[in-house]
Parts: sequence; C-alpha cells; structure tokens
Amino acid sequence: MENNRNNRIDEVLSSLDNVQRATAPDFFYTRLKARMEKELVAEPRKSWALRPIYILGVLLVVLAVNAAIIFKGSSSETSPSDTETMQSIASEYRINSNLTYEINE
Amino acid sequence: MIQGLRNGDENAFRFLVDTYQDRIFNTSLGIVQNAEDAEDVAQEVFIQVYKSIHSFKGESKLSTWMYRIATTRSLDLLRSRKSKKRSGLVQRLFGDGNEPIYEIPDFNHPGVTLDRKENAAKLFKAIAQLPENQKIAFTLHKLEDLSYQEVSETMQTSVAAVESLMHRAKLNLRKILEKEQG
Repeated sequence: MENNRNNRIDEVLSSLDNVQRATAPDFFYTRLKARMEKELVAEPRKSWALRPIYILGVLLVVLAVNAAIIFKGSSSETSPSDTETMQSIASEYRINSNLTYEINE
Repeated sequence: MIQGLRNGDENAFRFLVDTYQDRIFNTSLGIVQNAEDAEDVAQEVFIQVYKSIHSFKGESKLSTWMYRIATTRSLDLLRSRKSKKRSGLVQRLFGDGNEPIYEIPDFNHPGVTLDRKENAAKLFKAIAQLPENQKIAFTLHKLEDLSYQEVSETMQTSVAAVESLMHRAKLNLRKILEKEQG
C-alpha cells in the first residue's frame, strides 16, 4: 500500500522529465514591438522639471528667498541713531502730538 | 550582437528576441503558470534588456543575465498576485466582498506529453507552493534543462547551494504530494 503510494508520487515527480520547451506565442515580436513603441514614446513626456534634483533646487531657492526676506525685515528695524535723527527732524519741524491740539484750538 | 544592441540596431534586437523568446517564455511560464502572464513577463524581460544593455558588463553570459531577469520578473508577478489576493480577502472581511478572490487554475504545460499531463498538473500545483528559491532552482533545472552550474550562475550562488535547494525542493514536493493524496 505504502509502496503504491510512493510509486505514484515518484511518477508525479518525474512527470516533467524530458519535457519539451514551450514556444512563445505567435507574433510575439510584433506585440513586443507595439508595446515598446507605446512605452518608449510615453517616457520622454516626463518633464525634466519633475526630477527630484530640480524639485530640491527649487525648494532651496524658495527657502533662501524666504530667509533673505525675514533677515532683511529684521535688519530694517530702526537703530538708535536713526531714532535720534528722526526725533531731531521732528522737533525742527515741530512735528509732535501737540500740533493737532494747536490746530484745533 | 551585444554591440548591435548597444547601437540600437533593430536587426540585432530582432535576432536577440528570436534566439531567446522561447527560453524566456518557457522559464516564466513554469513559474507564473499562466500563458498570458508569461507572455507579459517575457515582453518585460526584452524591454529591460533593451533599456539596460549598456549596463551589461559581460561578466556572465547574456543568457544567464536574461534568465535572471526572467526569474526576478516572474517572482515579482507572483508577489503582486499574492498581495491582490490578500486585499481581496480584506475586502471580503470588511464589506465589499462581491469580487471573487483570484485563484490559480490547474496549469497544463504545453510541452508535457498527453500521458503525463495529469501528473504534471499535480506537480505544477505543488511547485507553486515551494519557497521562491527552491521554485526557481527546480524550474530552471527541470523545465530549461540548465545544469546545476548554470542554475548557480543565474541565481548568483554556489553549486552546493543549488544542490541543497534541489534536494529540499524534492523533499518538499514529496510532502505536498503526500498531503494532497491524503
């Protein structure tokens, strides 16, 4: 009984001995060429601008511009010497908060 | 031929395809066990060769390189089938389960003689259950009649490793067939 079972399994295991190679379907080359024409034509449409290195470059430029704006903004706050200059100009022309009351009086 | 391929010569490419299409198709067929899928894979192999011939350094034979691409692409397809199967099961568990889960039907290899077809179908079903490396080694040796040396070059491993893979594959196949028989 056991022998019969083993023999059957041996037959199954040897069922691929001397198997013939399967042949590729008819017109395989024709279909391959058609697929290549489709795929290789589609590929160049990918924009160079979408390459990661360019995206990274653009991001760096944006960050640099933002940083420059922020830096410039913080450096444009008036320094003490500027304040004194403005005050002296204001006093020269009597530009102060009292002026409006004088006008109204 | 290789130089012709590098130059984009269509005649060289046609010659390549004519020379290797049966080998590549047969290899893929043995692994994916479906003629349409095997043809898709075979096309992908030639497309990859066309695109990357410049990176082929000639350290191995061209056929070895192509067998390697064919087995890799075939395994990729099997993995994607498995993940579709899993997502189908999840859909069944969580609601939209109207679509049937993909089942691999019985496979009949066209190169098997009529008297052996039934046994060969059982064997292919068992091969489908082997671990990947054993599956590759067994398919390349049995279906493509590659020597252990050639299999080892394709799989980039040693001959001893291939011997071990074949030994384990046969043991596993026997176990699977015993279980199927009941």
